[in-house]
Amino acid sequence: MSTPPTPSTPPTPSTPPTPSALPSPVESFTSPHKVDYTFVAGTGRSAFLRGLQERRLLARRCPTCERVYLPAPEFCSRCLAELSEPFELAGTGVVKTFCVVNFPFPGQMIDPPYLVAYIQVDGADTTLMHLVRDVEPADVHIGLRVEPVWCAEEDLDTSMNSIRYYRPVAGGSDA
Amino acid sequence: MRDIAVVAFAQSPGTSADRRDDMAEILLPVMREALGSAGIDRTEVDFWASGSHDFHEGRTFAYIESLDAVGAWPPISESHVEMDAAWAAYEAWSWLQLGEGEIAVVYGVGRGSLATDLDQVTTTQLDPYFLAPLRPHQDALAALQAQALVAAGMLDEKQMAEVVVRARAAGMGEPGAQVSGEVTVDELLAAPYLASPLREHDRGPIGDAAAVLVLAAGDTARRLAGRPAWVRGADHRMDTHYPGTRDLTRVDTVTLAAAKAADQAGFAAREVQIAELHTEYSYQEPLLTNALELSGATVNPGGGPLVARPTTATGLIRIGAAAQHILSGRADRTLAHATSGPALQQNMICLLEGDR
Repeated sequence: MSTPPTPSTPPTPSTPPTPSALPSPVESFTSPHKVDYTFVAGTGRSAFLRGLQERRLLARRCPTCERVYLPAPEFCSRCLAELSEPFELAGTGVVKTFCVVNFPFPGQMIDPPYLVAYIQVDGADTTLMHLVRDVEPADVHIGLRVEPVWCAEEDLDTSMNSIRYYRPVAGGSDA
Repeated sequence: MRDIAVVAFAQSPGTSADRRDDMAEILLPVMREALGSAGIDRTEVDFWASGSHDFHEGRTFAYIESLDAVGAWPPISESHVEMDAAWAAYEAWSWLQLGEGEIAVVYGVGRGSLATDLDQVTTTQLDPYFLAPLRPHQDALAALQAQALVAAGMLDEKQMAEVVVRARAAGMGEPGAQVSGEVTVDELLAAPYLASPLREHDRGPIGDAAAVLVLAAGDTARRLAGRPAWVRGADHRMDTHYPGTRDLTRVDTVTLAAAKAADQAGFAAREVQIAELHTEYSYQEPLLTNALELSGATVNPGGGPLVARPTTATGLIRIGAAAQHILSGRADRTLAHATSGPALQQNMICLLEGDR
């Protein structure tokens, strides 16, 4: 939509530049950047990650507020107190919330559809995100009791990948 | 202008690479020390401001990890600058000037060691058309400025070596120093070039550290510190993004920032007793001292960034060190300088003063 000229509009130049008089602008070029890093997990997270290599879920409790962190940092993020020595949890837990991922995206490791959930491991006050498998998505609901499925011995690592996924507890009832 | 002062400062020991601690773990002991020396707990803090850089950490929103050392959940008034925490200190100072609160805590976490090669990171801050594709490393950009100064007869390599000799001697016994010791000018001049006229020792060693500064206003500052370090004036200016359009032998942004800070403070840079300068390279010290006309002042009495450069905490440490001289009674008037960008592109000047 063009606006009609008003009386106050200044006169247009007698020789306006035509679009063809301007060189075409450079619209793109490639300048890739690559940066390599060392990731320092810290002492708190390292305790949790080392536990995963031994099929153990290691939690830590705040001595002040009793909150149990899994995974645990070094300090309680509320009280700023140093957390207790790591202790092991059985690993079973409850689905606190979940969604089904239906769309593909670059870098995706798993073929959709698949189900990701926040799992509150028994004894912890925080939740872990992981896959829930061996179950029809329609049968997953908040409150479903689940257990971890650990990877093979030779694949154990200081990584969340040591747990392949969670699945409903066999014959278990809802929380 | 409201009276705003630094009432406490603490920093972690300087390390070339901390492979044990995450950001919160580096920061928390320093936070405890700073709040402890101010005699406050975190519930009394009205505003938090921090500085660090995702590109140094290799993760998005990396700074939120450091908030675990602050206790960040509502209600908290909190801000972050994606650069040296000296600029977070300026933000906190401005926030207090607006009368929004009485106590602000500023912290910087520098993790210079996480990038395998920090030059891969620093090229990303250059202009994307003419410089970034060439991948000039930091030392090359600094060397261009140093060479321009040498060619203009404003500097020679012996002078640069003398700066390093003094810095390394001053760093002895300083917990924040990564390098220190007795060296001679002749030894230094025998070392090979890194990017002429610069040698390895002419650049501050990159490392990891955290620093925390507590700022307070008026009577609160007087209550929290025996001798508050009043920030009488502060200003920062930046030069053009493309160094090729600058006369590299001049740092007009330093001169201008210093003049603006002096207008606020009522005294000039040349009147301070101690100056803490953000000299990432040795050649920068004579350039800055000339621009600031610092004929009588002691410069970087603890060695400065030439003995430790924890990236995004380095500038904040300059402000903290300048304040510490006043808090401890060593000086009445001090200056802090912070820089960012290639070849002193951005510069901040703070003028501090103690009650006499």
